[in-house]
Amino acid sequence: MSERTGLGVVEIAILEAVESSRFLNCSKALTRVEERTGLAPGYAYQVLIDLARPWTMPVCLVEGQGNFGSRGDDPPANFRYTEARISRAGRVALAAERGEMAPVPIALINGNSYREGLRPPFRPDAIIAAVREVIQRPEVTDKELTSLAGLPYFLTGCAVSGNLAALAAGRRTELRLQAQVSISDDRKEVVIENIPPNISTDETARIIISRAESQPWADNHPGLHHLTFLPITDLRDKTSDRSSPFGRIICIPKPGTSPERLRDMLLEIPGVCTTMPVQLPRPLPLLIRHWVQANGHEDLLASLTALDEGMRGHAPAGGPGGPA
Amino acid sequence: MLAASVLAAEDVSFLLVGSAALWLRNEIVSVGDADVVIEPTEGNIYRLREALTGIAARPVPSMNILSGGSVVPVMTAYGKVDCLMKRGRQDWGRLRRGAGFLPVADVSVLVAASVDAWELRRHYKGATE
Repeated sequence: MSERTGLGVVEIAILEAVESSRFLNCSKALTRVEERTGLAPGYAYQVLIDLARPWTMPVCLVEGQGNFGSRGDDPPANFRYTEARISRAGRVALAAERGEMAPVPIALINGNSYREGLRPPFRPDAIIAAVREVIQRPEVTDKELTSLAGLPYFLTGCAVSGNLAALAAGRRTELRLQAQVSISDDRKEVVIENIPPNISTDETARIIISRAESQPWADNHPGLHHLTFLPITDLRDKTSDRSSPFGRIICIPKPGTSPERLRDMLLEIPGVCTTMPVQLPRPLPLLIRHWVQANGHEDLLASLTALDEGMRGHAPAGGPGGPA
Repeated sequence: MLAASVLAAEDVSFLLVGSAALWLRNEIVSVGDADVVIEPTEGNIYRLREALTGIAARPVPSMNILSGGSVVPVMTAYGKVDCLMKRGRQDWGRLRRGAGFLPVADVSVLVAASVDAWELRRHYKGATE
């Protein structure tokens, strides 16, 4: 893993392979990655997909064109049929890797929980603010840094709760991730949005449907049936790449069921609410301080500004410039 | 916990171990997934697979994997279930002797003795505790 960005060898090779203002066929890009790393295209494609999916990591390093899969169970198209190019944030990361710019803490922001690692992602502006604080005010306390970095942050917009103190201390803990569940204005629908990232929207829909079906044991165990049965007459999965990429499932309550009761039941359903084990390799304040100390001789403030602007889609000022 | 009740309601023979068992035995632990030791008979494993197929969010492993596997995790509509298949093949008789039925909702669930549940917890989680 690179000290300058935290990116791995394959990720860097992919960024170099798609370093272009035009979209490149992924097959061609993966051939370049194979030449450099020896990794077969099928393996490297998994990494490329992660870098390009807009719901995977806060700092998206690659822009994809074509079918890169969905938040549901749809797999991406074969790499012969998709295209990719480097994003503006990806350019900043690559410039930092090459020493054309000071380092940027990409891995600290993105984490690796999107591939079942234990490091969760954080809000980019929060990590950038914490790093800036260490640079400008080295005496900042660990508590202040932890507070600045805040809780982990997932692009799907799910609510996150958990023991931040344990996470920040480098201890293994568990996050609770919860979708937003709301009642429509006409009170006819209960709407589930911002589904946690560690379950697909199709799986969440299947779970809800399963809980709304009558079970063979219902008559023998009315107590269990009452606890578990979801009073729903219809479910519509409105998740779409354009309008609701992070999930939108609409549940219609059975006649006589209040939407509030259904909402409260849905909030506890697996898939609407998930857990995620997390652990940082070191205490969070130490990770931030160590990164600043290791790279403090370079102009980190400039590279952080470039990353900030790159994520917002602006051309990084004084950096490697826009599209080649 | 609910997942274990549903499996019991589906007539699957198993022993609840792990944090849920300890909680039911009045131990102070936070409850996570349902860890269940499955009775290792062919008929029971078939019933397990049928029951899981009805409630799983993802495809359920084959009979071969369930029969010969070690720990088979399954995400169900009632929560995650870790099926401790190998433990069942090795220790079902011993664990069953100390176990007892406890009510969860209106279902009787066979729960391992505290001492056995703690022992298994140390075995599986020892490295992280």
